[in-house]
Amino acid sequence: MAQLVLNGLITGMIVALPAVALTLIFSILKFPNFAIGAMLTASAYIAWSLNVLAGLPLLAAAVLAALLFALAMVLTDRAVFRPLRERGPITLLVASMGVSFVLENLCRLAFGNLARNFDIPIARPHRFWGLRVNQEQITTAIVALAAMAAVYLLLRHSPLGRAMRAVADNPALAAARGIDRDRTILWTWAIAAVLTTIAGVLVGMDRAIDPLMGWSYIISIFAAAILGGLGSPVGAVLGALVIGVVQEVSTLVIASNYRQAVSFAAIALLLLFRPQGLLGQRRIKR
Amino acid sequence: MSPGRPELVAPLAVEGLFAGYGGGDILKDVSLSVPAGKVFTVVGPNGSGKSTLIKTLAGLVAARQGRIALCGRDITRLAAARRVSAGLAYVPQEHNVFRNLTVGENLKLSTEFLDGGRLAGPEQRERVLALFPDVAERRGLLAGNLSGGQRQMLAFACALMANPEVLLLDEPSAGLSPKFVQEIFQAVLTVRDAGVTVFMIEQNVAAALPFSDIALVLVAGQVRLVTAADRLLAEHDLHSLYLGEA
Repeated sequence: MAQLVLNGLITGMIVALPAVALTLIFSILKFPNFAIGAMLTASAYIAWSLNVLAGLPLLAAAVLAALLFALAMVLTDRAVFRPLRERGPITLLVASMGVSFVLENLCRLAFGNLARNFDIPIARPHRFWGLRVNQEQITTAIVALAAMAAVYLLLRHSPLGRAMRAVADNPALAAARGIDRDRTILWTWAIAAVLTTIAGVLVGMDRAIDPLMGWSYIISIFAAAILGGLGSPVGAVLGALVIGVVQEVSTLVIASNYRQAVSFAAIALLLLFRPQGLLGQRRIKR
Repeated sequence: MSPGRPELVAPLAVEGLFAGYGGGDILKDVSLSVPAGKVFTVVGPNGSGKSTLIKTLAGLVAARQGRIALCGRDITRLAAARRVSAGLAYVPQEHNVFRNLTVGENLKLSTEFLDGGRLAGPEQRERVLALFPDVAERRGLLAGNLSGGQRQMLAFACALMANPEVLLLDEPSAGLSPKFVQEIFQAVLTVRDAGVTVFMIEQNVAAALPFSDIALVLVAGQVRLVTAADRLLAEHDLHSLYLGEA
C-alpha cells in the first residue's frame, strides 16, 4: 500500500508539470490545449535525438530540448493560434487537435513506431524502510519539485508572472497598463513547452518513448487540471498528486488496465459535486 | 488655447473632435478645455456620447478628426498606454482592478509596464496610499475581496501611481450602493486637492454636481452648455437641455 502511494505520488509529480502547462495556457489563452499529450511525445523525441543520436549527456540533451521545443511552440503559436486568437475557445480547441495530430505523426515519420530508450545506465533500486525506490523516481521527485517551485516563484514574484496573471484576469485592463499581451502569450507557450519537455524526459526515463506516449497521459493531465480548477496552477499540482495516487491505489481493487478509467470517474464525480474544482473557489469572477 | 501663452495652457484641451464606431460619428465637433485643479464633469442623457468621449480621450477609441492636447502637447495619435506615461490616467467604469491579484500587486502593476519616466518610486506610492488609508491597510488582500467602494478607491490609487496631470474617471459611481456614492465623490475631491485635475463623466447628475467645479452638458454628441457646476441646476432646466429646447 505505501509502495503504491509512493509510486502514485511520483506519477502525480510527472503529470503535474504538463497539467500546470495546460492550466496556464487555459487561463491566458482561454482554450483547453488538446495538443498537450502530443507536446509531451514530441519533446521527449527531441531530447532522445539529442541524447542518443547526437550523443549528448541526458541533462544537456534535456536542457537543449527544452529550449528548442519552446522555440517550436512559440513558432506554432505564431503560425496556428495567433491568427485564430479572437475566434473563440472551440475554434482554438479544434486547432490544437490539428497541432496534436501533426506533432504525433511528425514523430512517427521521423522515428518510426518502435519504442526508444534514453542512453542511461540501469541502476539497482534503493530500499528505504521496506519501500523500493529506484534512481529514476528520486530524479523525478527532485526535478519535478524544483520545476514546480520555479514556476510558483515566477508567477508570484516576477514581473512576467504578474503580467501573465494580469492578462489572465483582465486582458483589456492589462493592455491599458502597458502589458503586451502577445509577448506575454509567447512566454506562456515557452514556459508550457519547458514544463512539458521536463515531463517528457522524465516519462522517457521511467518507461520508453513511443509515438503514443502522450495519449496514455492526456486523460490524467486533463483530469488533474480540472480537478484543481482550470486556471489554478497550485490546484493542478494538487489534482495531479490526487489522480496519481488514486490511480495507483485503485489497482488493488480493479485491474490495472482500467487505471485510466479512474481519471474519468474522478472528472465525472468532481463535475457533479464541485464544478469549480478543488481550488476553484479562489478565482473571483464578479 | 493659443500657443505662446504657456501660463494659459489647459491641462486637457479638445478641439473639433469627431469620433465614433462603424459608420456614423457619435461625437460631432466637440471642443472643451479643462482648467487646472478643477473637477470637470460631463453629464448628458443616455447615448449622448459621454462614454465615447472619455474613451477617445483615454485612447481606446480613435479620433477621426480634431485634436486632443495634454498640457499643450498633442496626444491625439498616442496609444492608450503611452497616454498614461504622458500624464493622462484613466479609470474604466467596470472591471478596473485585477480581481485575482492582491491590492499590492495591483498597485505595482499600475506602472510596472509603462515606458517612459513615470515609474512610481516609493515616495509616490506613499503619497497615493496616504490618500486612501482603506486601500493601504489591505495590501495583502485579493482585490476581488474588496467592497465595491474600496475597489473603486483602489482603481483611483492605481491610476494615481503614474503621477498623472489629469485623471479620467468613467462613471465612478456606477454600480455602487448609495452609501458608497458619497464616499467615492469625496475621494474625487481628495484627488483634486492633491493637485490632480479631474475629468469625469457621470450619469448620476444629482450626486455628482455637489462635488464638481465645472459641468458640461453633452447632448447628441455636441456640447450644449458649459457652466459652473453649482449653477447648472439653479439656472437651467436639465430636462429641456437634454431634449434640446434650451
